[in-house]
Amino acid sequence: MGLHTLRLATVPLTFSTFTSRLFLKPIPPNTLQTLGQFSRHVHPRKPFLVRAFSASPAAVQEIPPTQASDSSAARPQWKASIDFKWIRDNKEAVEINIKNRNSNADLGGVIELYENMVNLQKEVEGIREERNNVAKKMKGKLEPSERERLVEEGKSLKESLVTLEEDLVKLQDELQQVARSIPNMTHPDVPVGGEDSSAIRKEVGSPREFSFPIKDHLQLGKDLDLIDFDSASEVSGSKFFYLKNEAVLLEMALLNWTLSEVMKKGFTPLTTPEIVRSSIVEKCGFQPRGDNTQVYSIDGTDQCLIGTAEIPVGGIHMDSILLESALPLKYIAFSHCFRTEAGAAGAATKGLYRVHQFSKAEMFVLCRPEDSETFHDELIQIEEDLFTSLGLHFKTLDMATADLGAPAYRKFDIEAWMPGLGRYGEISSASNCTDYQSRRLGIRYRPSEPVQTGSKKGKASLPATKFVHTLNATACAVPRMMVCLLENYQQDDGSVVIPEPLRPFMGGIEIIKPKLR
Amino acid sequence: MKGKLEPSERERLVEEGKNLKESLVTLEEDLMKLQDELQHVARSIPNMTHPDVPVGGEDSSAIRNEVGSPREFSFPIKDHLQLGKDLDLMDFDSAAEVSGSKFFYLKNEAVLLEMALLNWTLSEVMKKGFTPLTTPEIVRSSIVEKCGFQPRGDNTQVYSIDGTDQCLIGTAEIPVGGIHMDSILLESALPLKYIAFSHCFRTEAGAAGAAAKGLYRVHQFSKAEMFVLCRPEDSESFHNELIQIEEDLFTSLGLHFKTLDMATADLGAPAYRKFDIEAWMPGLGRFGEISSASNCTDYQSRRLGIRFRPSEPLQTGSKKGKANLPSTKFVHTLNATACAVPRMMVCLLENYQQEDGSVVVPETLRPFMGGIEVIKPKLR
Repeated sequence: MGLHTLRLATVPLTFSTFTSRLFLKPIPPNTLQTLGQFSRHVHPRKPFLVRAFSASPAAVQEIPPTQASDSSAARPQWKASIDFKWIRDNKEAVEINIKNRNSNADLGGVIELYENMVNLQKEVEGIREERNNVAKKMKGKLEPSERERLVEEGKSLKESLVTLEEDLVKLQDELQQVARSIPNMTHPDVPVGGEDSSAIRKEVGSPREFSFPIKDHLQLGKDLDLIDFDSASEVSGSKFFYLKNEAVLLEMALLNWTLSEVMKKGFTPLTTPEIVRSSIVEKCGFQPRGDNTQVYSIDGTDQCLIGTAEIPVGGIHMDSILLESALPLKYIAFSHCFRTEAGAAGAATKGLYRVHQFSKAEMFVLCRPEDSETFHDELIQIEEDLFTSLGLHFKTLDMATADLGAPAYRKFDIEAWMPGLGRYGEISSASNCTDYQSRRLGIRYRPSEPVQTGSKKGKASLPATKFVHTLNATACAVPRMMVCLLENYQQDDGSVVIPEPLRPFMGGIEIIKPKLR
Repeated sequence: MKGKLEPSERERLVEEGKNLKESLVTLEEDLMKLQDELQHVARSIPNMTHPDVPVGGEDSSAIRNEVGSPREFSFPIKDHLQLGKDLDLMDFDSAAEVSGSKFFYLKNEAVLLEMALLNWTLSEVMKKGFTPLTTPEIVRSSIVEKCGFQPRGDNTQVYSIDGTDQCLIGTAEIPVGGIHMDSILLESALPLKYIAFSHCFRTEAGAAGAAAKGLYRVHQFSKAEMFVLCRPEDSESFHNELIQIEEDLFTSLGLHFKTLDMATADLGAPAYRKFDIEAWMPGLGRFGEISSASNCTDYQSRRLGIRFRPSEPLQTGSKKGKANLPSTKFVHTLNATACAVPRMMVCLLENYQQEDGSVVVPETLRPFMGGIEVIKPKLR
């Protein structure tokens, strides 16, 4: 059999750009490093709209005000650095944005809580000051009765303080809970509205005309002995599968080729843990333990399976201050991804289109705020180049406000033509999350000091830190790519042609042929 | 009671029938309970053992083969953790924050090295007629049990998924074993030879101490596993074939290793015979297991329900009367590690390090890594 004579090369011998200049700029040992990237997307349930990678329907569950004020709610394990003052000062714009995104974040509640909190803080500070004054007075020489009076005053101030401080903590927790669900602001060019309002940024190719009746990928998978869903449903359940024969080589070729192409653009390759602590999942905006959660949890631990490499990569640089000179950080991360797909049903779940486990290569960038728009363009360009090289017909969409999901300032989705399914299906998503994620993951950078000619450098005064901007983009989601390749490249005789760029990564195989029986 | 009877006789028979029925119901219940108990207790009887297997504990294991010798270093050597840090190849620290201990990120050339190892292994093993597979990594816990593991004991190696009867696999043996469960294969379909790639997840509950350092013992890793289903009379020769493939792979990579015929106390319940390969890991200063090849005879197939129907022998001249199929038999199953990435990485990094801190890539892997010959320290 032809497969047995293969000599696979993952990366062609001509590939030689792996030089030191592509590696991460070195970061001095005493600078903490974390990398935080995540995309968290609210996506209202749409049975025929196929969005795997941008959609996490349970990603952000807006917490209604009544729930937030429930004193039995657990304290948040971590705090997002939300700029409440900015929200209050720009509340009209924030309100319009919330509406446009169909978010049910409670802005009024947030502002009210914030103002209450500010007032309470002032009160607490006032009492602290009074207590200090009392303490100072007690240092001097006093009449016994005066001393006793002051002691009493001190005590009652202390009690008030304790109560007020407890109230303050509660308020701050409530504020966190409610404010976390306020979505990111939106790029001014993003179309306002639902999915029908998304704008087509670009279109490449056109649907192939077939001169014979075509099959869908499931049928091709059966006929060419490439995919087994039946055994998997006995062994594991529905939406699981085995890949066999050339399909295994195709998965490896897709990942190897993608790695090779994206590394040329200066991205650092990574593999990641696929089990993470649930707090990381939360900081990335997913709800590990809601009903209809997309997230699998591990029994008896606080750990979960990742639905995307965004999550563990997001965690690398959490709670850190990077040097400006270290930016941008650009990663291409490979992992298996696990999703419950709870609530997903119907035609949109057929075959490889919606599965519980899949391989994916994900791009992440951390950069300075002024650079994120440029990097968003770079990421979408990389994706478009990859899919154009594979000969796919696709549309790049500028997703409308209601389809953005909470973290994304702007999101470009690519939908490719899947002739066997008879429609376009999402194969990638590229989001600019600005500082939404970095505020939750605690990823900051310290700007380099500007050169000051002639001015005296007096006391050492470091520039204040700022939050980085983060972006993420799918480079290759294997099952969706396989749907596209199998369905588009099928031939009359039932075979499937391999696109040229992938052939060197598959030992030169040009065609997947039906097996002799 | 079908015949003609006197009324009193009929009544007597009806009474007798009732009594018999009640006894029957009780006895049938007892029988089922006994059968269940029997199942429960008998399942833990281990497989029989090949007569040549040494009897005793780990010190009794016999050396079947030894290849190469420990490299002599003219400079102080590092272990793989230190090399990983110095060459910016792995990150355990961030992973400890994000996931916990015994998790890691691979970076830069280490990612290429993992892919090269898997691609090269696939390429070599396919030449021997193995069918490549990727598998689910979440399976029903009953499959885990049928393969001879204990998903829900204390100190279990198996991660379970909250709210389901599903588990994470610790090896691709499990989902591959499940493919043909409850089936009758044709003899002509045998042998079935698979090379399966998967990520593997293990709790490593109870594992502690020096043996837990760095990549040596981790919760998640990539592995290529060979799995064979064959006729009983063929399993011994397939066991030899599998160990030969492993030895050839590791020899090609230039490793120094010993193949051990594991003694009875180290076999584990399903294995009739087990060959482990331990490779020299100079940075750790000892031999460490990099692969294991087991002949499980019919232990797994009896649990998974995998049978085959022998082809009918040619009968010259005999009359074929009533269709009379030969009765089915249980297949034999074997499994063997082709490549467990972290352990291989320990070996390659530690054995191929150079005085200047770089690591040489074995020649066989270079074409699979874009021609990279040396992993060098990054410029600072």
